[in-house]
Amino acid sequence: MAAAAGGALAQAGPTPSTGSGKPAPLTSAPASQAGLGPRLTLHAIDNFHGTPAAGMVCELAWRAGDSLTPIRTVTTGANGRPAEPLLTDAALRVGHYELLLHLGAYFAARGVSLPSPNFFDRVPIRFRIRDAGQRHHLPVLFTPWGYSYYRGS
Amino acid sequence: MAGISTHVLDTDRGRPAAGIRIDFSVLEGETWRLVKSVVTNADGRTDQPILAPDEARIGQYQLAFHVDDYFRDRPGTAEADIFIDNPVVRFAIFDPAQHYHVPMLCAPGSFTTYRGS
Repeated sequence: MAAAAGGALAQAGPTPSTGSGKPAPLTSAPASQAGLGPRLTLHAIDNFHGTPAAGMVCELAWRAGDSLTPIRTVTTGANGRPAEPLLTDAALRVGHYELLLHLGAYFAARGVSLPSPNFFDRVPIRFRIRDAGQRHHLPVLFTPWGYSYYRGS
Repeated sequence: MAGISTHVLDTDRGRPAAGIRIDFSVLEGETWRLVKSVVTNADGRTDQPILAPDEARIGQYQLAFHVDDYFRDRPGTAEADIFIDNPVVRFAIFDPAQHYHVPMLCAPGSFTTYRGS
């Protein structure tokens, strides 16, 4: 973690501009990702315990309407991230995706007392990749009673 | 009051999201059966409850929010920036006597939902 402060400083500075008044495409990145190719990465944060969400099963699929084509199933590590990016380079394609979080099982494994059936069990995260040449970071913040996701960096 | 209600907010603009189609479904076996489609009013809510108190049963429910058209038609929004993709929220009624308010807060690049009141 010694590089964290330097990495944070490396991100400071003006937002790149195309000169048209619109933000430039997302090509800037934390120093730790410099030089990396297009990829889809996940970071799951357990806002109930205030920790990274370790050991949560997540199923990634392509989506066409309500029809899903499984790509892979991963489990988050101790830092809340899968060991590998969800997708890299040519495997990252333009299209519709769904990541299904096994949120109910995650909290059940931690002994959290929840109603039955739980309010949230398997949580679908739907997002779209529109430019396969960019990096896409998907943070997911959740508790047993709510969740957020967004395009991160 | 029991049942299900929702509220759609555009957190990018700080205002209710009007005209959003919401498909409400119930899980029957392994199939989601569409119960009804509604559209949010000027306040980002629905004129009628999503599910009335006397219709509430223990089970799995789904709200599908069709925000794509809303963002595309919104002035000043670049389609390339729309990351969330007509999100769906699946949740359970575990006690029919309780009310389930399930708001959806969205921007082109972010989505939030929670059990409200």
